[in-house]
Amino acid sequence: MPDIVKPLSHVPYGKKFGLDTSSCGRCIGQPVIFDFRAIATMAASITMPKRPFLTLPFLLPSLTESLSIGAVRHQSSYRRTKQRLRVKPDASFGPSQQGRDQIIYNPPSSAPSVYHTPSKFLPANDVRRVMRPAAAATATADVNELPSVYKTQPERKYHLTPEDVEEIRKLRLNDPMTWSRYSLAKKFECSPLFIAKVCGASPEKKAIQKQVLEAVQSRWGPKRRMAREDRKLRREAWGRDE
Amino acid sequence: MFPGSFPVGVRKPCKWVNLKNTSITTMPVKAIKTISSARNGVGAFILQCKRLDFHYCNFGGSSRGMLSFLTKDLAAFAREHPQIEIRVSPRPAKHPVIKGHYINGHEKAICVRNLEPSEIMKKTNILKEANGEKLKRTKKPVTSLNESVRGIWSPYHGDLRGV
Amino acid sequence: MKRLQLQRWSSTALSPRVRTNNRLHQQLYSTGLRLQSTVSPLQSESAISENVEDASFQNPDAMRHIRRAHKRKTQLQYPSPPVEAATQSAKLAALHARLYLPSRLPLQTLARTLVDASADSNVDFNNESLATLGHDLLANYTSEHLICTYPRLPLSVTFAAMYAYVGPKTLAAISKEWGIDNATVPGGEVDPGFLQFQRVAPGTAVEDISQLKSARPYADQKNWRMTVSSKIFYDDEFGDAIKGSVALGQGVTDETARATFVRAVLGAIYLHAGRPAAKRFFEQHILSRHLNISELFNFSQPARDLARLCARENFEAPVAKIVSETGRKSRSPVFVVGIFSGQDKLGEGSGSSLMEARERAALSALKGWYLYTPINPRVPSSMEEEGAAPWKPAHIDLGELLPTEDG
Repeated sequence: MPDIVKPLSHVPYGKKFGLDTSSCGRCIGQPVIFDFRAIATMAASITMPKRPFLTLPFLLPSLTESLSIGAVRHQSSYRRTKQRLRVKPDASFGPSQQGRDQIIYNPPSSAPSVYHTPSKFLPANDVRRVMRPAAAATATADVNELPSVYKTQPERKYHLTPEDVEEIRKLRLNDPMTWSRYSLAKKFECSPLFIAKVCGASPEKKAIQKQVLEAVQSRWGPKRRMAREDRKLRREAWGRDE
Repeated sequence: MFPGSFPVGVRKPCKWVNLKNTSITTMPVKAIKTISSARNGVGAFILQCKRLDFHYCNFGGSSRGMLSFLTKDLAAFAREHPQIEIRVSPRPAKHPVIKGHYINGHEKAICVRNLEPSEIMKKTNILKEANGEKLKRTKKPVTSLNESVRGIWSPYHGDLRGV
Repeated sequence: MKRLQLQRWSSTALSPRVRTNNRLHQQLYSTGLRLQSTVSPLQSESAISENVEDASFQNPDAMRHIRRAHKRKTQLQYPSPPVEAATQSAKLAALHARLYLPSRLPLQTLARTLVDASADSNVDFNNESLATLGHDLLANYTSEHLICTYPRLPLSVTFAAMYAYVGPKTLAAISKEWGIDNATVPGGEVDPGFLQFQRVAPGTAVEDISQLKSARPYADQKNWRMTVSSKIFYDDEFGDAIKGSVALGQGVTDETARATFVRAVLGAIYLHAGRPAAKRFFEQHILSRHLNISELFNFSQPARDLARLCARENFEAPVAKIVSETGRKSRSPVFVVGIFSGQDKLGEGSGSSLMEARERAALSALKGWYLYTPINPRVPSSMEEEGAAPWKPAHIDLGELLPTEDG
């Protein structure tokens, strides 16, 4: 009788089913437990279909406790199993602390819909502006603490004068090979984007650059070419929100 | 795309720089052409059965119920369902058949040999109510083109809890 | 409304004098089939006139059939079914009932909506005038709905939404969902329940069908830029160049003929049953269709546009912040990036790179701006109803972000 339980009882569950609990990010804690249950149930049903329901590991008081047939014997009742499976409702659904009526708002665990206009975009005379103060309050809490997308924020100087811009234009027009966008940006301590905004490349330089690009691209094999094309297509798909 | 900075457009405007001839005009948003899809019954309801053909034989005994149905019950059925075109035609030396033609181009036929008029009426109703598609099992109680009110579940939203 | 021709069939069927293998009966039976089909019954009619001597003139059914055959011969001289044929068509009556058309709309008019100008060039018998009216009604009702419901929708997207609701493709699909079949060849003997039009010859290029007659000055300058706003003035309601009318005898495509038919039906309802019925018909058949407007957008640089929008509306500059992430160093990371203006979240997006998530977040913020809907939007035509509440002006603001010469 005891060897029926053996295959499961000697191996820690996380390792047996390839669950890597350490890789979970800071935000997805809850689903981990859920997955574990599901996988354990599934594996149990695959490996040992005849095994009684009461030996399912997640019903035990502690996961760390080693399993033996003696440990599970006192749980051999359907009622207790049901009792353990019963999940209590969230605290927010209980009677309120203040003893008065309230609206329970559980935000849906889904990405916000685009049809839900942000409060900032509502016109001044729209009633929804004043009806949504609570949601705005929750959002305000930690905007400044959220990490930025960029590692460093570039410093904005606004130091260039009209004479500098004239100089940039002259340099780029007269000697485009030496004074590329990046070299000009380095010299005038601004971003290459600013150089592009201030002056475009001359047609000759554009033609040369096109030839260089074609020469580089002609050396691409089919794999690289396809990968680049796919990347371009993916990028276009962002704009369509696909 | 733009290295370094996100709020590109909010750069302090340089009024003295003529930006006119340096760049190309780009459309902020283009549109995707598509067509709206039908939802029969949301606005108007179109009965999918557009035509019923009744075939009978004058001589054969299997058509006896059908003949009685055609002479007695069919007129009332047609009056109740004016949206169905009804054709009656003889098919000598063959069993009686009801054929339904549907808007999707399919057709369904039921052989009604030796059936009583009441049973034929049931078969007619089956054909009337069908939509011409093959019968398939529906697993979900609701099928809709609308998005779910709660959205699609995502592990990154909602009441997040740390490990 | 005569829906059944039971009498004829049942009498021939039940009469003991009729022999089933009578030559005449076979002929009549075959012509009876041809009546339903759209093949010209010329040949079979000549056969009938030869066989008339064989028939017993005492048979009233046979006489009736012969009379019908003669009548069909006179029908053949018309390009489209005669007006009195409309009351005889079971197909037409079924269509009338299937669409729940108002009883004030007679079958004769419904039959007329099914005759395209390419089948019958006589304007008194084809659907051209009705279609013109219906087209204007459709464009009016759809555009006022779109503009009042989504007052900030960009013009290009409004054009696309118009096309999705009342474009020729959609109207052709609607006519198919109504169960309309085409007549193979139009003619006076055809059942008036079929859609009748002259098909365009196979192999004809689509551009050749209609001459491009744009009112736009310098239309032949291909390199000149056409602004979206100029399309309001010069082009049709979908932002496409206005096409000239089809040359006589050239034929039309299936899609065009079907779209014209649907427009003509709405025009006919408006004429016979009035404005409320036409509006109701429009709401039930056109507006009830499913269209997700947020899927019509195609942005090229959403982040830049959002920044421009915030600058225009005097909001704080948008900043992208990571809301949550997982698997940064793995093969399949997911980043959720929110776009904030000051303390307010404008949009949120997820992607497998920070750039992607940021673009998607900016895009959702822009859609949030464009897809703003006032509470209980009303359209101007709702004032035509009895006892309508006093009109409050529709919401108007700066709305769309216009293209600028900004890199």
